[in-house]
Order: sequence, then C-alpha cells, then structure tokens
Amino acid sequence: MTTAATLPRPRALTFGNLWLSGALLLVMALYPLVFGKAMNFGVSTLIFAGLAMSWNILGGWAGQTSLGHAALLGIGAYTMTLLATPERLPAFLPAPLAPWWGALIGMVVAVALAAVWGGLTFRLRGSYFTLSTIAVALVLRLVAINSEWTGSSEGLFMPELPTLFGLDLFDRKVEYGLAFAFVLLTLVVTHLIRRSRLGYGLQAVREDEDGARALGIDPTRMKLIAFMISAALTALGGSIYAIYLQAFEPHTLLELPISVQIALMAIIGGRTSIQGPLIGALLLSIFGEVFRTVFSNANLLIYGVLILVVTIYAPNGLMGLFRRGGLKLGVNR
Amino acid sequence: MTGLTASSLSAAGVKAAPLLTAQGVTIRFGGVTAVKNINLSVRPGEILGLIGPNGAGKTTLFNGLTGFVRLSEGRVTLAGRDITHLQPQARSRLGMARTFQVERPFEDLSVLENVLVAAFLRHRGRAAEDHAYAVLERVGLADRAAQPAAELNLARRRRLELAKALALEPRLLFLDESIAGLNPPAQQEMVALIRELAQSGLGIVMVEHIMHVIMTLSDHVICMAFGELLAEGTPAAVAAHPDVIRAYLGDDHD
Repeated sequence: MTTAATLPRPRALTFGNLWLSGALLLVMALYPLVFGKAMNFGVSTLIFAGLAMSWNILGGWAGQTSLGHAALLGIGAYTMTLLATPERLPAFLPAPLAPWWGALIGMVVAVALAAVWGGLTFRLRGSYFTLSTIAVALVLRLVAINSEWTGSSEGLFMPELPTLFGLDLFDRKVEYGLAFAFVLLTLVVTHLIRRSRLGYGLQAVREDEDGARALGIDPTRMKLIAFMISAALTALGGSIYAIYLQAFEPHTLLELPISVQIALMAIIGGRTSIQGPLIGALLLSIFGEVFRTVFSNANLLIYGVLILVVTIYAPNGLMGLFRRGGLKLGVNR
Repeated sequence: MTGLTASSLSAAGVKAAPLLTAQGVTIRFGGVTAVKNINLSVRPGEILGLIGPNGAGKTTLFNGLTGFVRLSEGRVTLAGRDITHLQPQARSRLGMARTFQVERPFEDLSVLENVLVAAFLRHRGRAAEDHAYAVLERVGLADRAAQPAAELNLARRRRLELAKALALEPRLLFLDESIAGLNPPAQQEMVALIRELAQSGLGIVMVEHIMHVIMTLSDHVICMAFGELLAEGTPAAVAAHPDVIRAYLGDDHD
C-alpha cells in the first residue's frame, strides 16, 4: 500500500489530553491564593476529586460500578488513625506509626480486601459486583460500629501527629497541599493507564467481555488489577480525609451516600474521560454548596434528578457531551 | 515452519501434521443436543468450510471449538496440545483467533485502537501500535485508522473483525460468516484476502451461508444438520450429496 505511506499516520498510544489536565491543575494550584478564606471547601473538594478519579479506574476504565468505595475510604482513614493513636495500638506495635506509614499500610489492606472481594465477585457478570459493593460497605460499617477498638459509633479522634518536613499536618494550607498531591497522583496514574496495554485491555473489557476474551484478554484479571489500583488510591484519599476531618464516625464516613457521591461525581463528569471525574467533582462540589444553602434538605432530591438526567441524556457524562459537540476533549483522550 | 509454506509442502505431496483436531465433539444445552459427535481436522494452509441449514449447530460447534461454549463430550487439540478445557483467552495465546458473526467492534475506540487491543497480545508499546497499523494496511483499512469504530459501515466492520483476529498473529483462524451480507465486490475482496491468508500457511475454519463462496474457497467441507454430520468431503462431493440437497431444499419439492 504505497498510498497509505503518504498519509499522516494516526497515533493511538498517547497520554491523552495533557493540556486539559495541566489547566485544571493550574486552577487548583491558584485556588488558595484567591480563596484563602475558603480553605475547608477547597480541601474537601480536592479530596473528593481525587476519590472520584480513583473510583473511575474501576468504574470508568473497567466499567465496574462500585457503590461501596466508602469502605475503602474508611479503611484508609481508620488504619492510619488507629496506628497513629498510642491508646489504640495493636499489641505488636511498640510505638505509634507516622501517618505516612499508616496511610501506606491502609493502602496495602485496601488492596488485599479488593483482591479477595474482586476475586469472589468478578467471575459473575452483570450487577452482582455492584450489589456486593453495597454489602461489603455495610458489613464494614457494622464492624466499625460494634468494635471498641475502632471507637464504636462515636468513631475516632485524630491524635497529635508528627510534622512532615517541618510542616504541621493540621494546617489547612498543608492539607490543601496533600489533597492537591493526591489529585495529581490520581491524574498521573490515569494518564499512564491511558497509554498502556492495561488501559486498552480495560476498555476492551468494559465494552465487550467476550470480544476481549477472543483477543487474549482475561476479563477477571483486568477488573482485579483495576480494582486494586482503585482501592489503593481510595485508601490513600481516606487517610488524607481523616487528617482533614480530625474526628470521624462510622455514620459520616462509611455510609452509602458517601459511596454514591463519589460514583456520581465520576459519572456526571464522564466516566469514559480522563478528566471527567475531576471536573464532575469540582462542579458538583460548587453546586453542592449552592444547593445546600438554597435548598437545604432538598439537596439529595436534586442529586437524584441529576443522576436521572445524566444517565438518560448523557451516558458519557459532561465530557461525553463535549465530544459529541465536536470538541475532542472527551472519551479517554 | 522454516521457510516452507504449507502450500508448498502439500504441493510436494507431504502432508503437514494437523493444526486442529476435534474428536467426538458433543454439546448439550439441558436436554437439547445442539452438536452431536463431530470429528474434524484442519492442517496449516487448509480451509475447512462448515455449512448447513439454519439451526444446524454450526455456530455452536464454532463456539465449542474456540472455547466460548463448554463441550459436553469430546476433545480438541491445537498443534498436538489438548486445549479442550482452556479458556478462549488462553487459546488465543496458543495461536487461535476468531471473528464474530455479529461483528462487535469496541465502539468507543478508534479503528486503530481496536486492532491495538489485539496487537498487545504479542507486542509491547510502540511495536504493538506499529503492528496494529501494519495489519490495517494489509486488510485495506489504514485510511480509516483514526475513525471511531462505531462509524464504520458493514463491509469495513467485517474487515476490522478480521484485522483484530489477524493482529493476534494466529496459526488457526475461525471466520464466522465474514462474507454474508457484503455486496459482490466486497465479497470478492474478502475471498481474495482469505485465500491469501491460507496460502501464507494459516489454517482456516469458516462458517458461511453463501454456497458458491464456500465451494470455491474450501479444501474440505463439512455439512451439518440438526447438530449431526450429514456429509463431508471435497466441495464438489458434498454439493452433489443427496442428503445435502435434501437438507437444503427439503423433501417434498417436486
């Protein structure tokens, strides 16, 4: 084919739209300079942006909808806090662990849970996995409520923490930095997946499991890998969230609405897009603030209507709409 | 195969060892026997045609041989290795590839990306992308590489199916109705491509409805009806077989 050689050859293996990610990171980096008074909102928005990005590695790339990510968030928060609290240390630990080691262990625990959980459920097709996620989160919440060690229904208080490179972890500016680093990490991981064999395997499994199997891809294995990456990142976000909250209880951390909120941010932003979950989280957080003040209790009702509208009219989320509009920002690009 | 193509081997009168063998393949769904005691073998460079009226069990047999449906009885080997209990994904690693009757591109992905998914089986990174593009050139889809797969017409979707299977670099290729539904020029292009693939040494099993296509392409034909073997042999012998004529035209034609 001599004619083909003269055509510009399209590329498939790219990192996706790095400019858009860069622009979003810039906005997030500039936020504290402009809205220095609204740091609480900034930190929690960024943490949820990172959580939505983490969720999407499983929910978007592998197409496995989880409504139990609060469980993984909780594992990160509880593990880090328990290991940092002198009175609650397990017998084999001589001294409290620094939060970064605690966060790391939380990630390992979350990955182990995901491996077992996914191993049991990914062989089944359809909505079994989604149902199991609700169940696992429910079980974990019950355990947390009924165990003395985890502070029962009163939850945990964050103890004194060592400084990180001389920085006070309870300073909102430092927490903003941690949350920013968390979002950055989830973005980097997602861009790396976009350019990898794993990324294409995941997309193939999402679109058509049998079609993927015919091409030598093991769907169960693909979903497991996505779940383990998603779990590790979500647990890390949980540890950062715990530092931000300073005190948390099972009812605020391990409830279904938290899981739904994370999933919703990703779905509304666009689960088949790299930056969709991040954009969804930013927009929903901003509207959430507005809705809370204007509509107070009707807040959840509006969330419900949003889910319906998006699933019916924009199954690929806001970023999917952009793509349809001809702006090639969307779908995994 | 050290430089010798399968066709040159058979021309020299040497028969290569079979690539695929199936012995006593039986597939039951509950009380229904969809495929009953089928035996077949395919050598490198050989095209085996599978024909039969609708509901004869061709596609079920096809799915059984490629691992998408579990065999109730029987044994399948690929290059001498027993693969009866292997998953489809493991079979593709050993050199088996298939297309689907209802072509199923990954619609969110571009044409090139669709093939890239398959190319990753044997290549990494840029090499996989280069390989995917080379396969697109081979099937004449390179000019569509950047197009979303969802936008392709039927003829190009069929080619894409074939490209994905070829990107796996198989030794044995299963084609499930790759030609039916195409217009005559597109049919001829596909026939030429399939013949070329067989000449390069690929073993091919094809299910096809269009008689003249399967009769001109196949080296060996198996005709099934109601899940059972009705007749087999050279295309001419099967076409002339009274049971085959009866199965296609019915008993009571005057």
